[in-house]
Amino acid sequence: MNTNRRQFIGGAGALVATGALAAPAIAQAKPRVVVIGGGPGGATLAKYVARDSQGAIHVTLIEPLKEFVTCFHSNLYLGDFRPYDSITHNYSGLAKYGVTLVHEPAALINPQTKTVRLASHTTLPYDRLVVAPGIDIKFDSVPGYSEKASEVMPHAWKPGPQTQLLKKQLDSLEDGATIVMIAPPNPYRCPPGPYERVSMMAHVLKKKGHTKSRIIVLDPKPSFSKQALFSEGWEKYYPGMIEWQDPKMHGGIKGVDPSTMTVKTDLGEYKAQLVNVIPAQMAGKIARDAGLTNDSGWCPIKPESMQSAKDANIYVLGDASIAGDMPKSAFSANSQAKVAAMVIRGELTKSPTFPPRYTNTCWSMIETDDTVKVGGRYEPKDGKIAAVETFISKTGEDEDLRKQTQAENMGWYRGIIADIFA
Amino acid sequence: MFEGWRQRVASGAILLALPAAWAVIPATSSHASGDRALGQYLSSECVTCHQLSGRFDGIPPIVGWPEETFVQIMNEYKSKTRNHPVMQTIAGRLSPEEIAALAAYFGSVAPAPVQREGGKS
Repeated sequence: MNTNRRQFIGGAGALVATGALAAPAIAQAKPRVVVIGGGPGGATLAKYVARDSQGAIHVTLIEPLKEFVTCFHSNLYLGDFRPYDSITHNYSGLAKYGVTLVHEPAALINPQTKTVRLASHTTLPYDRLVVAPGIDIKFDSVPGYSEKASEVMPHAWKPGPQTQLLKKQLDSLEDGATIVMIAPPNPYRCPPGPYERVSMMAHVLKKKGHTKSRIIVLDPKPSFSKQALFSEGWEKYYPGMIEWQDPKMHGGIKGVDPSTMTVKTDLGEYKAQLVNVIPAQMAGKIARDAGLTNDSGWCPIKPESMQSAKDANIYVLGDASIAGDMPKSAFSANSQAKVAAMVIRGELTKSPTFPPRYTNTCWSMIETDDTVKVGGRYEPKDGKIAAVETFISKTGEDEDLRKQTQAENMGWYRGIIADIFA
Repeated sequence: MFEGWRQRVASGAILLALPAAWAVIPATSSHASGDRALGQYLSSECVTCHQLSGRFDGIPPIVGWPEETFVQIMNEYKSKTRNHPVMQTIAGRLSPEEIAALAAYFGSVAPAPVQREGGKS
Protein backbone atom coordinates (compact mmCIF):
# COMPACT_ATOMS: atom_id res chain seq x y z
CA MET A 1 0.00 0.00 0.00
CA ASN A 2 2.84 2.37 0.85
CA THR A 3 4.52 1.67 -2.44
CA ASN A 4 1.33 2.32 -4.31
CA ARG A 5 0.80 5.49 -2.35
CA ARG A 6 4.26 6.79 -3.21
CA GLN A 7 3.69 5.97 -6.84
CA PHE A 8 0.36 7.70 -6.67
CA ILE A 9 1.90 10.81 -5.19
CA GLY A 10 4.31 10.92 -8.12
CA GLY A 11 1.41 10.69 -10.50
CA ALA A 12 -0.46 13.35 -8.64
CA GLY A 13 2.49 15.69 -8.94
CA ALA A 14 2.49 15.28 -12.68
CA LEU A 15 -1.20 16.00 -12.79
CA VAL A 16 -0.77 19.09 -10.67
CA ALA A 17 1.58 20.38 -13.34
CA THR A 18 -1.00 19.61 -15.99
CA GLY A 19 -3.60 21.46 -13.97
CA ALA A 20 -1.30 24.45 -13.70
CA LEU A 21 -1.04 24.62 -17.46
CA ALA A 22 -4.78 24.37 -17.80
CA ALA A 23 -5.46 27.11 -15.28
CA PRO A 24 -2.39 29.34 -14.99
CA ALA A 25 -4.23 32.12 -13.17
CA ILE A 26 -4.63 30.02 -10.07
CA ALA A 27 -1.59 27.81 -10.39
CA GLN A 28 0.15 27.13 -7.12
CA ALA A 29 2.62 24.73 -5.61
CA LYS A 30 0.39 23.93 -2.69
CA PRO A 31 -1.74 20.82 -3.27
CA ARG A 32 -5.42 21.52 -3.66
CA VAL A 33 -8.29 19.64 -2.11
CA VAL A 34 -11.77 20.60 -3.26
CA VAL A 35 -14.77 19.37 -1.29
CA ILE A 36 -18.29 19.32 -2.69
CA GLY A 37 -20.93 19.33 0.02
CA GLY A 38 -20.86 20.91 3.48
CA GLY A 39 -22.63 18.23 5.49
CA PRO A 40 -21.18 15.96 8.17
CA GLY A 41 -18.89 14.26 5.64
CA GLY A 42 -17.67 17.17 3.56
CA ALA A 43 -17.35 19.79 6.28
CA THR A 44 -15.56 17.38 8.61
CA LEU A 45 -13.10 16.46 5.89
CA ALA A 46 -12.45 20.09 4.99
CA LYS A 47 -11.78 20.95 8.61
CA TYR A 48 -9.54 17.98 9.33
CA VAL A 49 -7.42 18.33 6.19
CA ALA A 50 -6.99 22.07 6.64
CA ARG A 51 -6.38 21.93 10.36
CA ASP A 52 -4.01 18.98 10.40
CA SER A 53 -2.02 20.02 7.33
CA GLN A 54 -1.40 23.40 8.97
CA GLY A 55 -1.52 25.30 5.72
CA ALA A 56 0.32 22.78 3.58
CA ILE A 57 -2.86 21.93 1.63
CA HIS A 58 -5.27 24.43 0.17
CA VAL A 59 -8.82 23.35 1.01
CA THR A 60 -11.93 24.69 -0.71
CA LEU A 61 -15.39 23.72 0.48
CA ILE A 62 -18.19 24.18 -2.05
CA GLU A 63 -21.58 24.43 -0.39
CA PRO A 64 -24.40 26.56 -1.81
CA LEU A 65 -26.13 27.07 1.53
CA LYS A 66 -24.76 29.47 4.12
CA GLU A 67 -26.62 27.71 6.89
CA PHE A 68 -26.75 23.96 7.30
CA VAL A 69 -29.81 22.39 8.90
CA THR A 70 -29.06 18.95 10.25
CA CYS A 71 -31.26 16.08 9.22
CA PHE A 72 -30.13 14.38 12.40
CA HIS A 73 -32.27 15.60 15.30
CA SER A 74 -34.80 17.13 12.89
CA ASN A 75 -37.23 14.55 14.28
CA LEU A 76 -36.67 16.09 17.71
CA TYR A 77 -37.70 19.41 16.21
CA LEU A 78 -40.88 17.76 14.94
CA GLY A 79 -41.49 16.40 18.43
CA ASP A 80 -41.00 19.80 20.11
CA PHE A 81 -37.87 18.61 21.85
CA ARG A 82 -35.65 21.22 20.28
CA PRO A 83 -36.16 24.48 18.34
CA TYR A 84 -35.36 24.83 14.67
CA ASP A 85 -32.56 27.28 15.41
CA SER A 86 -30.78 24.62 17.44
CA ILE A 87 -30.39 22.36 14.40
CA THR A 88 -29.18 25.23 12.19
CA HIS A 89 -25.47 25.95 11.89
CA ASN A 90 -23.14 28.08 9.81
CA TYR A 91 -19.62 27.60 8.51
CA SER A 92 -17.90 30.54 10.18
CA GLY A 93 -15.91 28.24 12.45
CA LEU A 94 -14.04 26.68 9.54
CA ALA A 95 -12.31 29.90 8.52
CA LYS A 96 -9.78 29.69 11.33
CA TYR A 97 -8.44 26.45 9.88
CA GLY A 98 -7.89 28.09 6.50
CA VAL A 99 -10.82 26.49 4.67
CA THR A 100 -11.94 28.58 1.69
CA LEU A 101 -15.72 28.58 1.47
CA VAL A 102 -17.53 28.90 -1.83
CA HIS A 103 -21.26 29.37 -1.37
CA GLU A 104 -22.58 28.43 -4.77
CA PRO A 105 -23.53 25.15 -6.42
CA ALA A 106 -20.99 22.92 -8.07
CA ALA A 107 -22.21 22.41 -11.62
CA LEU A 108 -19.87 19.87 -13.14
CA ILE A 109 -16.94 17.65 -12.28
CA ASN A 110 -14.44 17.06 -15.07
CA PRO A 111 -12.30 14.08 -14.02
CA GLN A 112 -10.11 14.40 -17.12
CA THR A 113 -8.97 17.96 -16.39
CA LYS A 114 -9.38 17.49 -12.63
CA THR A 115 -11.53 20.53 -12.31
CA VAL A 116 -14.86 21.48 -10.80
CA ARG A 117 -16.96 24.04 -12.60
CA LEU A 118 -19.18 26.19 -10.42
CA ALA A 119 -22.61 27.48 -11.39
CA SER A 120 -20.96 30.85 -12.00
CA HIS A 121 -18.65 29.14 -14.53
CA THR A 122 -15.61 29.64 -12.32
CA THR A 123 -13.38 26.57 -12.57
CA LEU A 124 -11.55 25.13 -9.59
CA PRO A 125 -8.67 22.72 -10.20
CA TYR A 126 -8.02 19.96 -7.70
CA ASP A 127 -5.42 17.38 -6.84
CA ARG A 128 -7.95 15.47 -4.77
CA LEU A 129 -11.68 15.94 -4.97
CA VAL A 130 -14.02 14.92 -2.19
CA VAL A 131 -17.64 14.39 -3.18
CA ALA A 132 -20.15 14.43 -0.35
CA PRO A 133 -23.44 15.51 -1.94
CA GLY A 134 -25.78 13.46 0.21
CA ILE A 135 -28.92 12.05 -1.34
CA ASP A 136 -31.35 12.92 -4.07
CA ILE A 137 -34.97 11.84 -3.82
CA LYS A 138 -36.29 9.39 -6.41
CA PHE A 139 -39.64 11.11 -6.74
CA ASP A 140 -40.86 8.70 -9.41
CA SER A 141 -40.36 5.68 -7.16
CA VAL A 142 -43.85 6.39 -5.76
CA PRO A 143 -46.47 6.67 -8.53
CA GLY A 144 -48.19 10.05 -8.43
CA TYR A 145 -45.43 11.65 -6.38
CA SER A 146 -43.21 14.46 -7.67
CA GLU A 147 -41.19 17.40 -6.45
CA LYS A 148 -44.32 19.52 -6.85
CA ALA A 149 -46.36 16.96 -4.91
CA SER A 150 -43.84 17.23 -2.07
CA GLU A 151 -45.20 20.73 -1.42
CA VAL A 152 -48.44 19.03 -0.36
CA MET A 153 -47.11 15.68 0.81
CA PRO A 154 -43.66 16.51 2.19
CA HIS A 155 -40.87 13.99 2.26
CA ALA A 156 -38.87 16.05 4.73
CA TRP A 157 -35.94 13.73 4.10
CA LYS A 158 -33.69 16.61 3.11
CA PRO A 159 -33.45 19.21 5.84
CA GLY A 160 -34.78 22.75 5.59
CA PRO A 161 -38.10 23.98 4.20
CA GLN A 162 -39.44 20.44 3.84
CA THR A 163 -38.84 19.82 7.54
CA GLN A 164 -40.63 23.05 8.42
CA LEU A 165 -43.54 22.19 6.15
CA LEU A 166 -44.02 18.81 7.79
CA LYS A 167 -43.90 20.44 11.23
CA LYS A 168 -46.48 23.03 10.21
CA GLN A 169 -48.80 20.34 8.88
CA LEU A 170 -48.37 18.21 12.00
CA ASP A 171 -49.14 21.09 14.32
CA SER A 172 -52.29 22.04 12.41
CA LEU A 173 -53.98 18.64 12.68
CA GLU A 174 -57.25 18.20 14.54
CA ASP A 175 -58.09 15.30 16.82
CA GLY A 176 -59.17 12.31 14.77
CA ALA A 177 -56.74 13.04 11.96
CA THR A 178 -55.08 10.31 9.96
CA ILE A 179 -51.40 10.49 9.14
CA VAL A 180 -49.99 8.16 6.50
CA MET A 181 -46.27 7.66 6.17
CA ILE A 182 -44.84 5.84 3.18
CA ALA A 183 -41.51 4.48 4.43
CA PRO A 184 -38.56 4.14 2.05
CA PRO A 185 -37.01 0.98 0.62
CA ASN A 186 -33.41 0.08 1.46
CA PRO A 187 -30.88 1.56 1.23
CA TYR A 188 -31.74 5.02 2.47
CA ARG A 189 -30.55 7.82 4.71
CA CYS A 190 -30.90 7.13 8.45
CA PRO A 191 -32.41 3.63 8.74
CA PRO A 192 -34.22 4.21 12.08
CA GLY A 193 -35.25 7.75 11.06
CA PRO A 194 -38.76 7.07 9.74
CA TYR A 195 -39.68 5.21 12.89
CA GLU A 196 -38.27 7.84 15.21
CA ARG A 197 -40.31 10.33 13.20
CA VAL A 198 -43.45 8.25 13.77
CA SER A 199 -42.66 8.29 17.48
CA MET A 200 -42.21 12.04 17.53
CA MET A 201 -45.42 12.65 15.60
CA ALA A 202 -47.30 10.38 18.00
CA HIS A 203 -45.74 12.27 20.91
CA VAL A 204 -47.09 15.57 19.58
CA LEU A 205 -50.57 14.13 19.00
CA LYS A 206 -50.62 12.53 22.44
CA LYS A 207 -49.47 15.72 24.12
CA LYS A 208 -52.36 17.59 22.51
CA GLY A 209 -54.82 14.94 23.68
CA HIS A 210 -55.52 13.74 20.16
CA THR A 211 -56.39 10.24 21.25
CA LYS A 212 -58.58 9.63 18.20
CA SER A 213 -55.79 10.35 15.72
CA ARG A 214 -53.77 7.57 14.20
CA ILE A 215 -50.62 7.05 12.19
CA ILE A 216 -50.46 4.42 9.46
CA VAL A 217 -47.03 3.39 8.24
CA LEU A 218 -46.97 1.72 4.83
CA ASP A 219 -43.60 0.04 4.54
CA PRO A 220 -42.10 -1.57 1.43
CA LYS A 221 -39.79 -3.51 3.74
CA PRO A 222 -40.71 -6.63 5.73
CA SER A 223 -38.77 -5.34 8.75
CA PHE A 224 -36.93 -2.22 9.89
CA SER A 225 -34.13 -0.93 12.09
CA LYS A 226 -34.66 -1.26 15.86
CA GLN A 227 -38.07 -2.78 15.13
CA ALA A 228 -38.47 -4.59 18.44
CA LEU A 229 -37.51 -1.45 20.36
CA PHE A 230 -39.88 0.82 18.46
CA SER A 231 -42.72 -1.71 18.62
CA GLU A 232 -42.31 -2.02 22.37
CA GLY A 233 -42.24 1.76 22.77
CA TRP A 234 -45.25 2.36 20.55
CA GLU A 235 -47.31 -0.14 22.51
CA LYS A 236 -46.17 1.36 25.81
CA TYR A 237 -46.63 5.06 25.01
CA TYR A 238 -48.98 5.29 22.06
CA PRO A 239 -51.36 2.32 22.28
CA GLY A 240 -53.75 2.13 19.35
CA MET A 241 -52.25 5.16 17.64
CA ILE A 242 -49.69 3.56 15.32
CA GLU A 243 -50.34 0.89 12.72
CA TRP A 244 -47.31 -0.45 10.86
CA GLN A 245 -48.00 -2.46 7.73
CA ASP A 246 -45.45 -4.61 5.94
CA PRO A 247 -45.88 -5.60 2.27
CA LYS A 248 -47.90 -8.69 3.21
CA MET A 249 -50.38 -6.46 4.98
CA HIS A 250 -50.83 -3.71 2.38
CA GLY A 251 -50.07 -5.81 -0.71
CA GLY A 252 -47.92 -3.14 -2.31
CA ILE A 253 -47.94 0.66 -2.46
CA LYS A 254 -49.73 1.67 -5.64
CA GLY A 255 -49.42 5.44 -5.49
CA VAL A 256 -50.50 8.78 -4.07
CA ASP A 257 -52.87 11.51 -5.22
CA PRO A 258 -51.97 14.88 -3.70
CA SER A 259 -55.18 16.49 -5.01
CA THR A 260 -57.34 14.20 -2.88
CA MET A 261 -54.76 13.42 -0.17
CA THR A 262 -55.17 9.73 -0.77
CA VAL A 263 -52.75 6.83 -0.75
CA LYS A 264 -53.56 3.62 -2.56
CA THR A 265 -52.24 0.18 -1.78
CA ASP A 266 -53.07 -3.13 -3.34
CA LEU A 267 -55.45 -3.90 -0.51
CA GLY A 268 -56.83 -0.50 0.44
CA GLU A 269 -57.12 3.24 0.03
CA TYR A 270 -56.38 5.76 2.73
CA LYS A 271 -57.54 9.36 2.89
CA ALA A 272 -55.33 11.31 5.21
CA GLN A 273 -54.89 14.81 6.57
CA LEU A 274 -51.11 14.44 6.49
CA VAL A 275 -49.16 12.27 4.08
CA ASN A 276 -45.41 11.95 4.57
CA VAL A 277 -43.90 10.25 1.54
CA ILE A 278 -40.29 9.12 1.96
CA PRO A 279 -39.36 7.76 -1.48
CA ALA A 280 -36.40 5.70 -2.61
CA GLN A 281 -33.13 7.62 -2.76
CA MET A 282 -29.88 7.83 -4.73
CA ALA A 283 -26.56 9.62 -4.61
CA GLY A 284 -26.63 13.37 -5.23
CA LYS A 285 -26.81 14.48 -8.86
CA ILE A 286 -23.28 15.76 -9.17
CA ALA A 287 -21.90 12.35 -8.23
CA ARG A 288 -24.16 10.63 -10.75
CA ASP A 289 -23.26 13.11 -13.48
CA ALA A 290 -19.55 12.53 -12.84
CA GLY A 291 -19.95 8.80 -13.36
CA LEU A 292 -19.14 7.98 -9.76
CA THR A 293 -22.21 5.76 -9.27
CA ASN A 294 -22.86 2.21 -10.36
CA ASP A 295 -26.16 0.65 -11.41
CA SER A 296 -27.46 0.94 -7.85
CA GLY A 297 -27.39 4.74 -8.03
CA TRP A 298 -24.81 4.91 -5.24
CA CYS A 299 -21.03 5.38 -5.35
CA PRO A 300 -18.73 2.40 -4.89
CA ILE A 301 -15.65 3.16 -2.81
CA LYS A 302 -12.48 1.44 -1.66
CA PRO A 303 -13.05 0.46 1.96
CA GLU A 304 -9.51 1.29 3.06
CA SER A 305 -9.86 4.96 2.26
CA MET A 306 -13.29 6.00 0.86
CA GLN A 307 -11.51 6.56 -2.45
CA SER A 308 -13.91 6.25 -5.36
CA ALA A 309 -13.73 2.88 -7.10
CA LYS A 310 -14.23 4.83 -10.33
CA ASP A 311 -11.57 7.54 -10.03
CA ALA A 312 -8.39 7.47 -7.92
CA ASN A 313 -8.35 11.25 -7.49
CA ILE A 314 -11.84 11.38 -6.04
CA TYR A 315 -13.18 10.36 -2.63
CA VAL A 316 -16.85 9.88 -1.85
CA LEU A 317 -18.19 10.31 1.67
CA GLY A 318 -21.41 9.77 3.54
CA ASP A 319 -24.85 8.93 2.26
CA ALA A 320 -23.81 8.94 -1.41
CA SER A 321 -21.29 6.15 -0.88
CA ILE A 322 -21.70 2.40 -0.73
CA ALA A 323 -20.14 1.95 2.68
CA GLY A 324 -20.81 -1.74 3.21
CA ASP A 325 -22.25 -2.45 6.63
CA MET A 326 -22.13 1.18 7.73
CA PRO A 327 -25.55 2.84 7.66
CA LYS A 328 -26.14 6.13 5.91
CA SER A 329 -25.85 8.40 8.93
CA ALA A 330 -24.18 11.62 10.01
CA PHE A 331 -22.01 9.68 12.44
CA SER A 332 -20.86 7.39 9.62
CA ALA A 333 -20.10 10.31 7.31
CA ASN A 334 -18.11 12.04 10.04
CA SER A 335 -16.14 8.86 10.71
CA GLN A 336 -15.49 8.25 7.01
CA ALA A 337 -14.31 11.84 6.60
CA LYS A 338 -11.58 11.33 9.19
CA VAL A 339 -10.27 8.25 7.43
CA ALA A 340 -10.29 9.99 4.05
CA ALA A 341 -8.67 13.13 5.50
CA MET A 342 -5.83 11.05 6.89
CA VAL A 343 -5.29 9.22 3.60
CA ILE A 344 -5.45 12.38 1.49
CA ARG A 345 -2.95 14.14 3.72
CA GLY A 346 -0.71 11.10 3.45
CA GLU A 347 -0.93 11.20 -0.33
CA LEU A 348 -0.39 14.93 -0.71
CA THR A 349 2.07 15.73 2.06
CA LYS A 350 3.41 12.31 3.06
CA SER A 351 2.06 12.70 6.57
CA PRO A 352 1.82 9.45 8.58
CA THR A 353 -1.10 7.17 7.85
CA PHE A 354 -2.68 4.53 10.05
CA PRO A 355 -5.11 1.65 9.55
CA PRO A 356 -8.63 2.96 8.93
CA ARG A 357 -11.13 2.87 11.76
CA TYR A 358 -14.79 3.45 11.28
CA THR A 359 -17.50 3.79 13.92
CA ASN A 360 -21.17 4.62 14.08
CA THR A 361 -23.87 5.07 16.68
CA CYS A 362 -27.46 6.05 15.94
CA TRP A 363 -29.72 7.20 18.76
CA SER A 364 -33.49 7.20 18.35
CA MET A 365 -35.96 8.93 20.64
CA ILE A 366 -39.23 7.11 21.29
CA GLU A 367 -40.72 9.31 24.02
CA THR A 368 -39.54 11.79 26.63
CA ASP A 369 -36.53 10.31 28.43
CA ASP A 370 -36.80 7.09 26.48
CA THR A 371 -34.12 6.76 23.82
CA VAL A 372 -32.46 3.71 22.28
CA LYS A 373 -29.31 3.28 20.25
CA VAL A 374 -27.58 0.99 17.77
CA GLY A 375 -24.02 1.08 16.55
CA GLY A 376 -20.77 -0.63 15.96
CA ARG A 377 -17.23 -0.49 14.71
CA TYR A 378 -16.20 -1.34 11.20
CA GLU A 379 -13.09 -2.27 9.26
CA PRO A 380 -12.22 -3.04 5.64
CA LYS A 381 -12.76 -6.74 5.01
CA ASP A 382 -13.37 -8.78 1.87
CA GLY A 383 -13.64 -5.67 -0.29
CA LYS A 384 -16.16 -3.79 1.80
CA ILE A 385 -16.49 -1.94 5.08
CA ALA A 386 -17.60 -4.74 7.36
CA ALA A 387 -19.05 -4.65 10.85
CA VAL A 388 -16.59 -6.05 13.37
CA GLU A 389 -18.64 -5.55 16.51
CA THR A 390 -22.14 -4.17 16.96
CA PHE A 391 -24.46 -3.30 19.81
CA ILE A 392 -28.10 -2.38 20.21
CA SER A 393 -30.31 -1.34 23.12
CA LYS A 394 -32.40 -4.12 24.63
CA THR A 395 -36.13 -4.29 25.05
CA GLY A 396 -37.22 -3.96 28.65
CA GLU A 397 -34.35 -1.74 29.71
CA ASP A 398 -34.93 0.25 32.88
CA GLU A 399 -36.01 3.87 32.84
CA ASP A 400 -32.74 5.23 34.17
CA LEU A 401 -30.76 3.67 31.34
CA ARG A 402 -33.13 5.00 28.69
CA LYS A 403 -32.97 8.45 30.26
CA GLN A 404 -29.19 8.28 30.29
CA THR A 405 -29.23 7.22 26.64
CA GLN A 406 -31.24 10.32 25.81
CA ALA A 407 -28.69 12.45 27.65
CA GLU A 408 -26.03 10.81 25.49
CA ASN A 409 -28.08 11.55 22.41
CA MET A 410 -28.21 15.26 23.20
CA GLY A 411 -24.56 15.24 24.20
CA TRP A 412 -23.53 13.49 21.00
CA TYR A 413 -25.32 16.15 18.97
CA ARG A 414 -23.36 18.92 20.65
CA GLY A 415 -20.19 16.89 20.27
CA ILE A 416 -20.50 16.15 16.58
CA ILE A 417 -21.59 19.69 15.78
CA ALA A 418 -18.46 20.97 17.49
CA ASP A 419 -16.41 18.36 15.64
CA ILE A 420 -17.83 19.40 12.27
CA PHE A 421 -18.29 23.14 12.51
CA ALA A 422 -16.28 24.57 15.42
CA MET B 1 -13.28 18.47 39.45
CA PHE B 2 -11.67 15.26 38.33
CA GLU B 3 -13.32 13.34 41.14
CA GLY B 4 -16.63 14.57 39.82
CA TRP B 5 -15.80 13.26 36.39
CA ARG B 6 -14.79 9.92 37.84
CA GLN B 7 -18.04 9.63 39.67
CA ARG B 8 -19.96 10.30 36.48
CA VAL B 9 -17.96 7.71 34.63
CA ALA B 10 -18.35 5.26 37.46
CA SER B 11 -22.08 5.76 37.40
CA GLY B 12 -22.11 4.66 33.80
CA ALA B 13 -22.70 8.08 32.33
CA ILE B 14 -21.21 8.66 28.90
CA LEU B 15 -18.57 11.28 28.63
CA LEU B 16 -18.99 14.20 26.37
CA ALA B 17 -18.50 17.89 26.12
CA LEU B 18 -15.50 19.33 24.41
CA PRO B 19 -15.90 21.63 21.38
CA ALA B 20 -12.97 21.33 19.05
CA ALA B 21 -10.94 24.04 20.71
CA TRP B 22 -7.82 22.93 18.93
CA ALA B 23 -6.20 26.28 19.55
CA VAL B 24 -6.11 25.72 23.29
CA ILE B 25 -4.17 22.48 23.06
CA PRO B 26 -0.70 22.93 24.50
CA ALA B 27 2.09 22.47 22.01
CA THR B 28 3.98 20.23 24.39
CA SER B 29 2.89 17.65 26.86
CA SER B 30 4.10 16.83 30.31
CA HIS B 31 2.79 13.28 29.82
CA ALA B 32 5.46 11.18 28.24
CA SER B 33 4.47 7.53 28.59
CA GLY B 34 2.24 7.34 25.50
CA ASP B 35 2.80 8.49 21.92
CA ARG B 36 0.94 11.78 21.84
CA ALA B 37 1.03 12.05 18.03
CA LEU B 38 -0.59 8.65 17.67
CA GLY B 39 -3.04 9.66 20.35
CA GLN B 40 -3.97 12.78 18.44
CA TYR B 41 -4.78 10.70 15.37
CA LEU B 42 -6.75 8.14 17.36
CA SER B 43 -8.61 10.91 19.18
CA SER B 44 -10.56 11.78 16.05
CA GLU B 45 -12.66 8.73 16.78
CA CYS B 46 -13.45 10.02 20.28
CA VAL B 47 -14.26 13.64 19.57
CA THR B 48 -17.40 12.85 17.61
CA CYS B 49 -18.99 12.56 21.06
CA HIS B 50 -16.49 13.81 23.65
CA GLN B 51 -15.97 17.51 23.12
CA LEU B 52 -12.38 18.70 23.14
CA SER B 53 -13.43 21.78 25.10
CA GLY B 54 -14.08 19.65 28.15
CA ARG B 55 -17.80 20.43 28.26
CA PHE B 56 -20.03 17.92 30.01
CA ASP B 57 -23.24 17.82 28.00
CA GLY B 58 -24.47 14.32 28.71
CA ILE B 59 -21.29 12.61 27.57
CA PRO B 60 -18.42 13.07 30.01
CA PRO B 61 -15.32 15.09 29.18
CA ILE B 62 -12.10 13.14 28.76
CA VAL B 63 -9.48 15.88 28.64
CA GLY B 64 -6.98 16.68 31.35
CA TRP B 65 -7.19 13.34 33.09
CA PRO B 66 -4.20 11.73 34.79
CA GLU B 67 -2.90 9.20 32.29
CA GLU B 68 -3.04 6.27 34.64
CA THR B 69 -6.72 6.88 35.36
CA PHE B 70 -7.54 7.17 31.67
CA VAL B 71 -5.71 3.89 31.02
CA GLN B 72 -7.44 2.15 33.91
CA ILE B 73 -10.91 3.18 32.79
CA MET B 74 -10.29 2.26 29.17
CA ASN B 75 -8.94 -1.12 30.21
CA GLU B 76 -12.10 -1.69 32.22
CA TYR B 77 -14.19 -0.97 29.15
CA LYS B 78 -11.96 -3.20 27.07
CA SER B 79 -12.36 -6.09 29.51
CA LYS B 80 -16.08 -5.29 29.77
CA THR B 81 -15.88 -4.94 33.55
CA ARG B 82 -17.11 -1.36 33.09
CA ASN B 83 -20.52 -1.27 31.50
CA HIS B 84 -21.22 0.80 28.43
CA PRO B 85 -21.73 -0.80 25.01
CA VAL B 86 -20.39 2.11 22.98
CA MET B 87 -17.24 2.44 25.04
CA GLN B 88 -16.76 -1.32 25.20
CA THR B 89 -16.88 -1.37 21.40
CA ILE B 90 -14.44 1.50 21.08
CA ALA B 91 -12.00 0.22 23.69
CA GLY B 92 -12.22 -3.33 22.47
CA ARG B 93 -10.03 -2.72 19.46
CA LEU B 94 -7.47 -0.48 21.12
CA SER B 95 -4.07 -1.97 21.93
CA PRO B 96 -2.30 -1.06 25.19
CA GLU B 97 -0.02 1.24 23.20
CA GLU B 98 -3.00 2.97 21.63
CA ILE B 99 -4.73 3.43 24.98
CA ALA B 100 -1.51 4.90 26.39
CA ALA B 101 -1.26 7.20 23.38
CA LEU B 102 -4.81 8.42 23.88
CA ALA B 103 -4.14 8.94 27.57
CA ALA B 104 -1.07 11.01 26.74
CA TYR B 105 -2.92 13.08 24.18
CA PHE B 106 -6.12 13.78 26.09
CA GLY B 107 -4.09 14.31 29.26
CA SER B 108 -2.29 17.13 27.50
CA VAL B 109 -5.47 18.93 26.46
CA ALA B 110 -6.71 21.65 28.75
CA PRO B 111 -10.45 22.26 29.00
CA ALA B 112 -11.56 25.42 27.21
CA PRO B 113 -13.71 28.14 28.77
CA VAL B 114 -17.40 27.29 28.65
CA GLN B 115 -19.13 28.59 25.54
CA ARG B 116 -22.79 29.18 24.80
CA GLU B 117 -25.20 26.45 23.74
CA GLY B 118 -25.11 24.99 20.24
CA GLY B 119 -27.37 26.07 17.42
CA LYS B 120 -26.61 28.77 14.89
CA SER B 121 -23.03 27.85 15.60
